[in-house]
Amino acid sequence: MVNVIKGVLVTCDPAMKQFLLHLDEKMALGTRFIQQDLDDTHLFISEDAVGQLKNQIDDLMDKISIPVVEGSQHT
Amino acid sequence: MSLLQCANLTDYLKTLGPSQLENLYVHPATALAVFRELPLLGQHYVLRLLHVEQSVPKAVVSSWVSRVDQYRKIEVQAMEALTNLRVWTSATNQAGMESLTLDDTFKQNLKTALMGGGSPWTTSRYLDLDPNRRDAAYLDQYSQERWDTVLHYMVGSSQQEGISADAVRILLSSGLMVVTPGTTEPTITRSGFQFLLMDTPSQVWFFILQYLDSVKSRNLNLTECLNFLFQLSFSELGKDYSTSGLSHGLLVFLQHLREFGLVYQRKRSAGRFYPTRLALNIASGENKSLLERHREGYIVVETNYRIYAYSNSNLQVALIGLFAEVLYRFPNLAVAVVTRDSIRQALRGGIKASQIVRFLQMHAHPRQQEQSQKKKRDEKLSNERAKDVIPGTVVDQIYLWEKERDRFTFEEGVLYNQFLSQGDYETVKNYADSQGVLNWSNDQNRTIIVSRAGHDDVRKFWRRHSRGGN
Repeated sequence: MVNVIKGVLVTCDPAMKQFLLHLDEKMALGTRFIQQDLDDTHLFISEDAVGQLKNQIDDLMDKISIPVVEGSQHT
Repeated sequence: MSLLQCANLTDYLKTLGPSQLENLYVHPATALAVFRELPLLGQHYVLRLLHVEQSVPKAVVSSWVSRVDQYRKIEVQAMEALTNLRVWTSATNQAGMESLTLDDTFKQNLKTALMGGGSPWTTSRYLDLDPNRRDAAYLDQYSQERWDTVLHYMVGSSQQEGISADAVRILLSSGLMVVTPGTTEPTITRSGFQFLLMDTPSQVWFFILQYLDSVKSRNLNLTECLNFLFQLSFSELGKDYSTSGLSHGLLVFLQHLREFGLVYQRKRSAGRFYPTRLALNIASGENKSLLERHREGYIVVETNYRIYAYSNSNLQVALIGLFAEVLYRFPNLAVAVVTRDSIRQALRGGIKASQIVRFLQMHAHPRQQEQSQKKKRDEKLSNERAKDVIPGTVVDQIYLWEKERDRFTFEEGVLYNQFLSQGDYETVKNYADSQGVLNWSNDQNRTIIVSRAGHDDVRKFWRRHSRGGN
């Protein structure tokens, strides 16, 4: 017998994978979305989480980036 | 995210049917244009075969290239190009050997183009002196203005008058602009943004390709139009050509070209026209540098991410606004700054970092180019970096901002696990691998992920396999 699951393969660096695990544990999307923890840089997740996840990642990146130049908000 | 594809001449001609190609080669201008776009080795083949009045065994042609692996690819490419364009056809001769023959029409007309003779091109009819002669400078300015109206229209700047309904239709049909439901004004699309950042010759070529697609619906003859276009591309800047002898269809085509600024006509009934720089060498696609430089650069980029644009054209400032935040606007100068947000917005709009960098390099102010030249001399920088006209920090940062969005890749796939035996696992894995659909696998857990597209195939294979096994 073979078990077959449909989903999305995520490839990322280890730090980002930890972030995804964190989101999964905290149920940031309302449900668990990780179906299989494959290895350090790969995860298998459910398909409908992708859109929301992208937003969450964008938010994180916005939070951790520091403006290197003055934009219009300073002038 | 799809990148805007700008097919070159060869790619375009490949999409035409054999009979259309045959009709095209009837004119020397086309034969020459096609010849010039062939790979170098392909040109060599054609020239060697040009005066051979019989078919030549393929083995002989192959023997012209030395048997070293590194040349194999070039040879295959050249042969493929010639076959695809039906410049030569291969057949098996009586001795059972594959032999190649140059296309008769192509051969005749290329000979005419290279060595003269044949009937004069329709447009080169003798004309008496034009009382309102236009010189190259005037034509450049004219074509630039015409072309800019198209671009102005796309960025929705306030300077938009005189764009023809035809041009708008092409913009819409090519997907560069769309009319979103509920509004009447077309808005620019992702590919439209990419289009704006291309250099002018590529823009014109892309635009003309789109136009040619619509030629049939206008009751024009495609081959006739193409032949005329190639004739134009070999014409001389600043020289006037006669419209007499052109068919009705071509006169309509000429008026369209006039709207886009490819030809200049003082008035419709003038009986003569001047090709502009946009029409010259139109078919040479991406690889032309002689035409690009005629407009002076206006952008200075500093290491503090500031962009100074010495321009009073709304269009040029609007282009910078695509990927930078415009801070100040003076009569002949705009100051903008590249920020993470502005770049990300551009990336979201479908623009690639490489396109932004290329745009900045292409339009760099002469002063900035001079400085980078000087720096190159002083510091004897390695070739790699020395090309950069704009500061390396800015270039690198723009690329980093792009990479930041690619920290994840998402691939739809199907996961297979809980195989009963290592043998089953290996069989499925090897099959998926051989089909090129294996995305990930782990031998310890006996887990495989295949792409969504390959799933059906792998499933069928597994069914066959397990049934056969039982």
